[in-house]
Amino acid sequence: MPRDTRSPDGAVVEFENVSKTFHSPKGPVHAVNHLTMALQPGQTIAFLGPNGAGKSTSLNMLLGLSRPDSGRVALFGGTAADAIKHGMVGAMLQSGGLMSDVTVREQVELWAKLHPRPIPVTEALKRANIADLGDRRVDKLSGGQQQRVQFAMAIIGDSPLIVLDEPTTGMDVENRQAFWATMRERAYEGKTVLFATHYLEEADQFAERVIVINKGRLLADGSAAEIKASAGAKRLSFRLPGVPDAVLHRLPNLVHVERQADIVRLQSSDSDATLYALLDAGYRPAEIEIQALGLEQAFLAITAEDNSVGDTDTATLEAAR
Amino acid sequence: MSATLTLTKLDVLRVIRNGRYLIFAIAMPAALYLIIGKQSTQADGVDFKAYYMLAMATYGAFAGALMNNSIRIATERKSGWTRQLRLTPLPGWGYVFAKVVTSLATTIPSVLVVFGIGAFLNHVEMPAWKWVVNALVLWIASMTFVSLAVAIGYRFDPETAQPAVMLVFFPMAILGGLWFPLGGTLEKIGKWFPTYQAHKLGTDIISSGKVSATSIVVVLGWGVLFALLAVFSYRSAKEQ
Repeated sequence: MPRDTRSPDGAVVEFENVSKTFHSPKGPVHAVNHLTMALQPGQTIAFLGPNGAGKSTSLNMLLGLSRPDSGRVALFGGTAADAIKHGMVGAMLQSGGLMSDVTVREQVELWAKLHPRPIPVTEALKRANIADLGDRRVDKLSGGQQQRVQFAMAIIGDSPLIVLDEPTTGMDVENRQAFWATMRERAYEGKTVLFATHYLEEADQFAERVIVINKGRLLADGSAAEIKASAGAKRLSFRLPGVPDAVLHRLPNLVHVERQADIVRLQSSDSDATLYALLDAGYRPAEIEIQALGLEQAFLAITAEDNSVGDTDTATLEAAR
Repeated sequence: MSATLTLTKLDVLRVIRNGRYLIFAIAMPAALYLIIGKQSTQADGVDFKAYYMLAMATYGAFAGALMNNSIRIATERKSGWTRQLRLTPLPGWGYVFAKVVTSLATTIPSVLVVFGIGAFLNHVEMPAWKWVVNALVLWIASMTFVSLAVAIGYRFDPETAQPAVMLVFFPMAILGGLWFPLGGTLEKIGKWFPTYQAHKLGTDIISSGKVSATSIVVVLGWGVLFALLAVFSYRSAKEQ
């Protein structure tokens, strides 16, 4: 059974030191830069990063649509082409098109016939919330409806790996919820679901694991809670006139410091320890506020940090983890 | 293989549903033949009604082979449909295979409709075997334009594919004598086109039952040229 052909350590997807560079008139763009990661079966993984971070480039290489300049990409221990040939991958691309002059049902039926172990077409339409659109022409649908047709195509093969690039863009709230409900069921069935998104709340709610990339490099990898912690789980602010910068920078568990006149804003991976150290040093800050970071703030903090340290130095973030 | 056939079936269905094909490849040549074809003169050694029947059947078959596919391939590459197909177990050649078979299938109605009008309304007469051979010859000759469609589809954008088709096809159709018989310099130029020679194969079969080697070489030559262009365009598009 091809279903069991996995690499020895059981990873569904492996990236080993993968790089991809594009050449633009302004010079080379390192879209993906020495990326290494492994995805385990049954996980729901969010792939998070700002625009141009290298998400789509990585997914394209994962799916074998483009080749890495260096490094190794493996699906189920083999090539993407092999995995796809055996119906192991259901994918929904941002750049994926649909047929014209066919109905929704015909389009999805074609996909069912292309895959070796399809679920019934009616079932796929129902799960994608388009049971009522079966007889409509695909090219006459709205963007959000077409998105759901693509979703039906991604799940109809009953493939063990589902890859979704920005799957809910253009969907309204109701359909987005229906979409994630279906995705959860797939995850319960033991399928690996990898989705790229810029909706941080989706990553927070639905992913067991969040992989943050920026400028083509892996910035953080862990549960949403771990990511928040690594970004400096707490934001700490207080009024403290005249405190030297050197004192602030020596504080333990510090991720980020910002000063605005007498107000100091800190991000800390352990706000208690940071605050006690400041008190122990003999300072008495006023108007103390401690606030938890959401994933969105954590994400912004991580990428902002990365962007400010330039191309080589990720020491601050690494130290915080 | 069954997956490829399913895609092919759907592709044929789409062409039939699409108005452009019905107009350019069937309705237009049939209408022109009904309007113009009844003159009781002679051309190229056969009755004009037979001459124009072959001309319009050639026109319709070539238009059907060329116009649909070229624009569809260009559009589907741009829209991401071909990328989408690459994410399924469909073999890599499945897409082009479906397109070529679709083209070959959609040339048949063009020929049959015009031949039908010739046989039943315009009283073109010839032995049964000549009807069959003529239809087969046209069908095989239209493969030339099936290749050209693939070449254009993989070389041009959806916006430029249409003008590219028009720029190649209409001069070839007109200079090939498909719209009206030509003489003099224009015919001398036209003789080098596959449109002219494919049509001449038909008139030769009707008048003498013998065809010239020149006709075969010209049609075959263009066929090989367009096939090479198709392979070249397909390969360079795949590498991007």
